[in-house]
Amino acid sequence: MTDSTIIFQLLVIGVTIGGVYALMASGLTIIFGVMKIVNLAHAALMMIASFITYFAFTNYGLDPILSVIITIPVMYLVGVIVYKVFFGSLEKDARFGELTVLLTFSIALIIEGTLGYFFTNTLRTVSVPYSTSSFWIGDVFLPKGQLYATLLSIALIISLWAFLRYSKLGNAIRATMQNSTAAQVVGVNIEKASVVAFGIGIAMGGAAGSLTTYMFPFYPSKHWEWIGILLSLIVLGGMGSLAGSFVGAILLSVTATFVSHFFGPTWSVATFFLALFIILLFRPQGLFGKKMEVK
Amino acid sequence: MTEKNSEVSTKSKTEVLGKITTKKKIFIGSILGILILIPGSVFFADNVNYYLHMLLYTFMFIALASSWNMIGGYTGYTSLGHTVFLAIGGYLSGIAYLKFGISPFITAPLAGLLSVAFGFFFGLISLRTSGASFIISSIAMVLLFKISLDHWDYGGGTGGMYLPFLKIPLEYSKIPFYYAMLLIAVGAVYMSYRVRHSKFGLGLRAISQDEIKAEAAGIPTKQYKILAFALSGFFVGVAGSMWGFYLTYLRPSIFLTILLGAHMVLMSVLGGKGTVSGPVVGAILFIGINEFFVTKLGSSELNIVATGVLLAVVLLFFPAGIVGSLKARGKLPEVLDWD
Repeated sequence: MTDSTIIFQLLVIGVTIGGVYALMASGLTIIFGVMKIVNLAHAALMMIASFITYFAFTNYGLDPILSVIITIPVMYLVGVIVYKVFFGSLEKDARFGELTVLLTFSIALIIEGTLGYFFTNTLRTVSVPYSTSSFWIGDVFLPKGQLYATLLSIALIISLWAFLRYSKLGNAIRATMQNSTAAQVVGVNIEKASVVAFGIGIAMGGAAGSLTTYMFPFYPSKHWEWIGILLSLIVLGGMGSLAGSFVGAILLSVTATFVSHFFGPTWSVATFFLALFIILLFRPQGLFGKKMEVK
Repeated sequence: MTEKNSEVSTKSKTEVLGKITTKKKIFIGSILGILILIPGSVFFADNVNYYLHMLLYTFMFIALASSWNMIGGYTGYTSLGHTVFLAIGGYLSGIAYLKFGISPFITAPLAGLLSVAFGFFFGLISLRTSGASFIISSIAMVLLFKISLDHWDYGGGTGGMYLPFLKIPLEYSKIPFYYAMLLIAVGAVYMSYRVRHSKFGLGLRAISQDEIKAEAAGIPTKQYKILAFALSGFFVGVAGSMWGFYLTYLRPSIFLTILLGAHMVLMSVLGGKGTVSGPVVGAILFIGINEFFVTKLGSSELNIVATGVLLAVVLLFFPAGIVGSLKARGKLPEVLDWD
């Protein structure tokens, strides 16, 4: 392989993983946009969807990509329940505080422990034929599983975007993201917008959880690594920006693929955390974000 | 002008320092007296080591929670990454002993200083952010540190390093660590108390309430935050160097878990963050609850669930913690009121 083929190959792999990262990050960024809190339980909730997919596959032979049909509505419900139980009773001003971030942190611990208790922390993965085969374009290979996952992810992100852009409820959510007080003044039910946005965010995470089952081995406590990665994506893109999270996901995923090739795969995860510091240092508001004033 | 200022500061000093009544002095004195005498019981009682272990474990967490409280409580910057200081302390003393033969009891203060230095440099970067971003950066710090230590061959990688037992009879082996941890806990609580009642501490509390107003009022918020973060690393680092030798091994997966960082937060929040006695009460209570769960449920996974549930319950129903809630109702015993 020539140098240019290697670079092209790394780009292809980076972009096809990046699409799935973008799907995970889209949920997190929507939740941040509406509620102004970082949902540290996002990856833990994603892990629930991974386990649903895993057991649907091992017990009933359900294809992990198809299982998205189950995990999206189930995780939407889980999201709504989590919201009602943990955030529903909070006062409005308390909801945006650091207290809520710690609350999502406690949710993450509860999920991690429960999953670990029932299913243990062994590595699991779903093996389907397309997870190990590839298309070839000249000298460059295109892993089938990653390609399907990324295409589905992009489709889901576009539907999310269209929902926010064209539906009435979607407009209410966008209004709440821009300025919740003003939205309330013009008659938006921000409570409803928040519940729906939280549910949708978790549902997106659920779909990503299904798709990652055959791409990366998973175990309950792996969600800390995931949440670190996801946070770096949305911080780079600018928190609360859907387009930003997409660009951030692709950029960092490609960078990590290059790091992994040139310095070894163990450093690919470190790329995300290091990037997080560099972004926080030089451009805390991210690429697409407004100056962040989160308390 | 300067005269006037000094007059004001001496006047407010007595007010700020609060009254240390004889009752409080007797309370603290008798508790310390008992704690100092307890190890003597190894000479005439059996099975003392378990109690010594529980006590020194509690001392360690009192030190960790009280230190965390300076940045997380007084200043209002929640850090989930204080385990990094623990690892710095542990690794410094471990390497100093294994490679150069220097006793951890000598290198422990150095471990504290290295933690402060690291805290200073890390604070320069991460304290440019606030709120949620700061929490994120602290988590990233732990993850980045863990990856680095996992691949640091000199420090043993994922396997870490094995440290020798002290060359003293087994039944007395816990006593040096007991006194070391007691000293660390007393030091950390004393530092927390002194900071709380200083001009610096007032500045920190102003930052936690409204940083922009604090800045406008002339408080050097940036320096204060960084200093608070760095100082909060000192006793965590010292405790880390002792903890490694007490366990007799150093391993990234033991020192650098997010759960351990969460425990420091939970203890402070449970007891009442931002108060002097809160983290102490929280640590004692938490170790008790934790021991109950470990002996009854026996599983580290259920332990994680219990930590999560407890944290959620405290946050939802008693955000001010035990000391804070009691104080708000005027029912706080005088001996616990150090604010």
